[in-house]
Amino acid sequence: MIQKKVCMVGVYGTGKTSLVQQYVHSIFSVKYHSTVGVKIDRKVVDIGGTPVTLVLWDVAGRDATQDIPASYLKGAHAFLFVVDGTRRTTFEQLADLRALARGAAGDVPAMVALNKADLKAEWALTERDEAALVTEGWHHLRTSAKTGACVEEAFGWLAGATLRDGSKRP
Amino acid sequence: MTTIDAFGLTDVGKVRPQNEDQFVVASLRKSVRIRHTSLSDPGLGDRLGGAEAYLFVIADGVGGRPGGELASGSVVASLLEFVDQAVVCYHSLDVDQEHEFLDRLEQSVHRAHERVLRDFGSAGKGPATTLTMITLTWPRAYLVHVGDSRAYYLRQGRLRQITRDQTTGEYMVDVGAWTEEQAARAKVAANLTSSIGGSEMTPAVGLIDLEAGDVVLLCTDGLNKHVSDERIAEVLRGTGTAEAMCRELVDEALRSGGTDNVTVIVARAAG
Repeated sequence: MIQKKVCMVGVYGTGKTSLVQQYVHSIFSVKYHSTVGVKIDRKVVDIGGTPVTLVLWDVAGRDATQDIPASYLKGAHAFLFVVDGTRRTTFEQLADLRALARGAAGDVPAMVALNKADLKAEWALTERDEAALVTEGWHHLRTSAKTGACVEEAFGWLAGATLRDGSKRP
Repeated sequence: MTTIDAFGLTDVGKVRPQNEDQFVVASLRKSVRIRHTSLSDPGLGDRLGGAEAYLFVIADGVGGRPGGELASGSVVASLLEFVDQAVVCYHSLDVDQEHEFLDRLEQSVHRAHERVLRDFGSAGKGPATTLTMITLTWPRAYLVHVGDSRAYYLRQGRLRQITRDQTTGEYMVDVGAWTEEQAARAKVAANLTSSIGGSEMTPAVGLIDLEAGDVVLLCTDGLNKHVSDERIAEVLRGTGTAEAMCRELVDEALRSGGTDNVTVIVARAAG
């Protein structure tokens, strides 16, 4: 079966693990656990009649003391960059994280999840921010790991993109 | 490859009549070489060859069920056979082989689970065991984990738990059904939601790249129910050998009550 490595990348506490938990296990944890190293989950999806195993690498988030090791990102077929929509600083690090990912895995499909969309009152991003993403060529969605909003869509888009990008990496 | 100083130690404790924990510290080349083990057949898988990778396994037979010792022993023995087959591809893993390697490691746990069910009875009724396994191909440590034994690592003096306990209490707190206080009071909180030989077996898979100077600890709950994370960190911050650290941790658990079997593996990456 075709396997595609998808790396979850972002600052700590943006909800990378929660998105994977929602997508793979349909559960949402109210207790925060910071990820250590990489947690790996799998999900088989059907893309236009082709079964694809997404191997989801939930990579520990960047924090003040620890950057994301490029070694975790090598060989990735796609990236899901996760932003906490209630913390603008996590949005501001996108360009830097994209450069890190490109350096490790090349120009593979990527998208941005503007996560925690259920926290409308605390939302810290503007329409201009989202317009800037479009201008810079990002595909993006507002997601909520808590409600499940757009979670399937985000991973589904990436899965399809990896197949369309299949000529670049086996 | 950085020099690894690794050691394992187990003790029956002060209360339990028998030791249902098992452990293996093995070095790997094209097969498995056992360094220390509590198994009755330490020659299993033994081969000549220099160390190119390491295998650390801890298993804790589930208390309250007959045959816990048999289950944990059977699982560890099975794993050695299955992992021996899996590590055929560990040499110079590239990014494409890595998925296959992880698949094989996880499959080895599923096969050990199936063997326990076959040998000892139906899921949830026969003996069961936890399992925490690290395969180290420097600097990458691959982890497969089932149950409530634990893996930690110490880096620059800071201790972090790599695994998460697969228990009812942990799950209920996670989903918001219980508070931490409720979990602490609930008798069923310590029940495993996932175990080898149990009705549910859902291995958690992960990895971490180690650095020179890191210390890895695997332990059964006989350690962490008596010794705090702060105290564990103090011991691992020491300058002694892996053997000395193992002895200090086990002694500490025994001094603090020793109500359960206690097993530890310490692996130090030379700094």
